[in-house]
Amino acid sequence: MAGTASGGARRNRLAPYLLVAPGILWLLVFFVAPTITLAQTSLTGAEGGWPAYHKALTSYGTHFFRSFRYALAATLLALAMGYPLAYFIAFRAGKLKNLLLGLVVLPFFTTFLVRTFAWKTILNDGGPAVWLLQRLHVLDAGGRLLDTTVAVIGGLTYNFLPFMILPIYVSLEKIDRRLVEAAEDLYSTPAAAFRKVVLPLSLPGVFAGSLLTFIPAAGDFINAQLLGSPNQQMIGTVIQNQFLEVRDYPLAASLSFVLMAVITLGVLAYARALGTEDLA
Amino acid sequence: MSRRESDVSDADLHAFLRQAITRRGFIRRGALGAGGLVLGNSLLAACGGGKEGAPAGGADSTAAAASSGKTLRISNWPLYIDKQTVPDFEKATGIKTEYTEDINDNGEFFAKIDEPLKRNQSIDRDIIVLTDWMAGRLINLGYVAPLDDSKFPNKANLVDNVKDVSFDPGRKYSVPWLSGMTGVGYNPKKTGRELTSINDIFDPKYKGQVTMLTEMRDTIGLVMLGLGKDPTKVTKADVAAACAKIKKARQSGQIRKFTGNDYAEDLAAGNIAIAFAWSGDIQGLAADNPDLKWIAPKEGAMLYSDNMLIPKTSDRQDLAMKWIDYVYDPKHSAQIVAGAPYLSAAKGTGAALAKIAPELASSPLVNPPDDLRARLHVFRALSDAEDTEFNRIFQDAIGA
Repeated sequence: MAGTASGGARRNRLAPYLLVAPGILWLLVFFVAPTITLAQTSLTGAEGGWPAYHKALTSYGTHFFRSFRYALAATLLALAMGYPLAYFIAFRAGKLKNLLLGLVVLPFFTTFLVRTFAWKTILNDGGPAVWLLQRLHVLDAGGRLLDTTVAVIGGLTYNFLPFMILPIYVSLEKIDRRLVEAAEDLYSTPAAAFRKVVLPLSLPGVFAGSLLTFIPAAGDFINAQLLGSPNQQMIGTVIQNQFLEVRDYPLAASLSFVLMAVITLGVLAYARALGTEDLA
Repeated sequence: MSRRESDVSDADLHAFLRQAITRRGFIRRGALGAGGLVLGNSLLAACGGGKEGAPAGGADSTAAAASSGKTLRISNWPLYIDKQTVPDFEKATGIKTEYTEDINDNGEFFAKIDEPLKRNQSIDRDIIVLTDWMAGRLINLGYVAPLDDSKFPNKANLVDNVKDVSFDPGRKYSVPWLSGMTGVGYNPKKTGRELTSINDIFDPKYKGQVTMLTEMRDTIGLVMLGLGKDPTKVTKADVAAACAKIKKARQSGQIRKFTGNDYAEDLAAGNIAIAFAWSGDIQGLAADNPDLKWIAPKEGAMLYSDNMLIPKTSDRQDLAMKWIDYVYDPKHSAQIVAGAPYLSAAKGTGAALAKIAPELASSPLVNPPDDLRARLHVFRALSDAEDTEFNRIFQDAIGA
C-alpha cells in the first residue's frame, strides 16, 4: 500500500520531466547541436576564430545596417497594415471572420519563392505597377521598381505580413469584450477605450508579431536577391555566398553568430521597452 | 511561348532553391525549345566516325558487363541529352543504365560528394559531369579514377583543341560531355546599335540596364578580356583589376544585377539591354524574341566545358568506360546534340548531325568559324586557395 503510494508519487514527480523530454531532445538535436557545430566552424581553420570575427564585425557593417534598416521598415509597415486588419477581423468581421483569416493564411499554400517571383513579374519595367505609377507621375519615365530598395522592403513586408497579423489577431480575440463595455459605461470615448484597454492588452501580440516579422526579415536573402540590385544586398545574401560560393565557412559562421547576437540583444531591449520580459 | 516562360521561371526557381546560381537549368531548357546554337568542334569533321568499329555494341564485351549484373549510374545536368541515347545504349550493350539529372550547380554538387569521397566512400555514381574548373578540383583532390584508354578506342575522336587542357593534360581523367560559350547578349532595340565589344556593357548610356553573371569565371573572364588580359593565365592582379572595374560599375548603378540564368528573363522582358550571356540561352530566346542577339565580342568569349568523370570509389568503372566510349562515336554524339544543341568534342559529330538534323547542322554557330574559335578562352584552373581568394574579391565586387 505504502509502496504503491510512494511509487505513484515518484511517477508524479517524474512526469513533468518525461513530458518535456521530447521537447528538450528536439532542442538538443536541432538547436543546441547545430549551434555548437556552427560555433566550432567559426573557430576552426586557418582563418577561424578572431580573424573571422574581426572581419565579420568590421567588413560587413553596410550589410548589417542595411538588413536591420530594411527589416525595421518592413516590420513597421507590416504593423501599420496588420494591426487594423487584425482588429477588424477580431472585432468587426462577424461571419466573415473565418473567411478573412483563411485569406490571410492562403498565400502560404504557395511557396515563399514562387510568391516572390510573382512580384518580379508585377514590378517589371514593362509591368502594370510601373505603368500605373508612371501615369500617376510617381515614377518618372525612366524610373523602375524592380531592383530597388522599395521593391526589397515591399517584398519583405508582403512576405512576413501574415506573421504580424496572426499573433495580433490572437491577442485581440482573447480580450474580454466586457472590459471595453465597462470602459464605455464609464464614459470613455471609443478612442480612449482603445488606447487604454484594447491596445495595452494586445501588446503581447504586437510584440510577438514584430519579432516574427523582424527576425526572419533581418536574415532574409531571397527578397534582396530577387527584388534588389547589388546595392541592396542584405547580410543573409553575404552569409549564403560565403557558405556556398566562397566556401569561407569560418567567416560565414561568425557572421551568423554576429547576426544572432545582435538580434538577441535587440529583442531583449525591445522586450524591456514593451514590458513583456516574461515573453522573451 | 507560355511554355518558354514557365520554363524560365522554373529554372530560376530551382536556382534559388539551390541557393546558388547556375546557368544550366535554363540553358538546357532553352536548348530544347529552340535549337539554335550548337555543337561544333567539327572543324575536323572530315574524320568520319566509328572507324574504330564502335565496340560499344560488341557482344563479347557486353557479356562481361552484363554478367556483372550491375547498373551504370550517371549523374548529369538537366536536359543535357536527347531521349533516345540511354535506351539505345542499354539495347546495344545490355547495361542497365540509371541516368539522373541531379547536377544543378557545381558547388552544390561538390558539397554533396566531397565528404564521402574524402573518406573513400561510394557516392553511388559511376559517371558525374562537372565543369572544367570543378573537374580540375576533383582531379587535384584525387577523387577521380583515371580513364582506361584500352577501353576507350573512340578517344581517337576527341577533337585536338581539348586534348590538352590545363586541368587535365592528356585527358587522363576527364573527357568533355558538351560545351558552351559565354559572351554578350543584347537587345538591339534597347541598345539602338549593334554591339561588338565587351566594354559596351560599361557604356554609361546603358546605366541600370546591364547585368553580369554570378559565375565568377565567366564574369571576371569577360571583363579581363575587355581589359586586354588573357583569362587562361589569370593572376591575382588581373582579378583585382577586373573586380575593381566591376565594383565601380556596380556602385555607380551601371550594373542592375548579377544573375544566374534569370538574366534571360530580364532580357526578354525588356528590363535590360545588355547581359553577359550563355550562347545557348540567347539562341533559345531568339526563337521567341528574334530581336535578341548573342555575340562573341571582338575581344573574345569564354568557353566552358562539362566533363565526364569517374569517381574513384565507383565499383563499375568498366561500365562507365563503355558509356564514355559509346558517346564518343559521332553517330551517338550527333544524336545527343540533336536533342541538346551544344558543342560536342567528338570529331565527326557535325557530319553525322547533317544527316539526322540538317537544319541544326547548318546553323552558323554549329560550326564556329576559325576566327571565333581563336577568340574562345578557358579560365585557368585555380587551386583551392586561389579559388577562395579570387571568389572573396569577386563577392566583394558584386556586393554580396
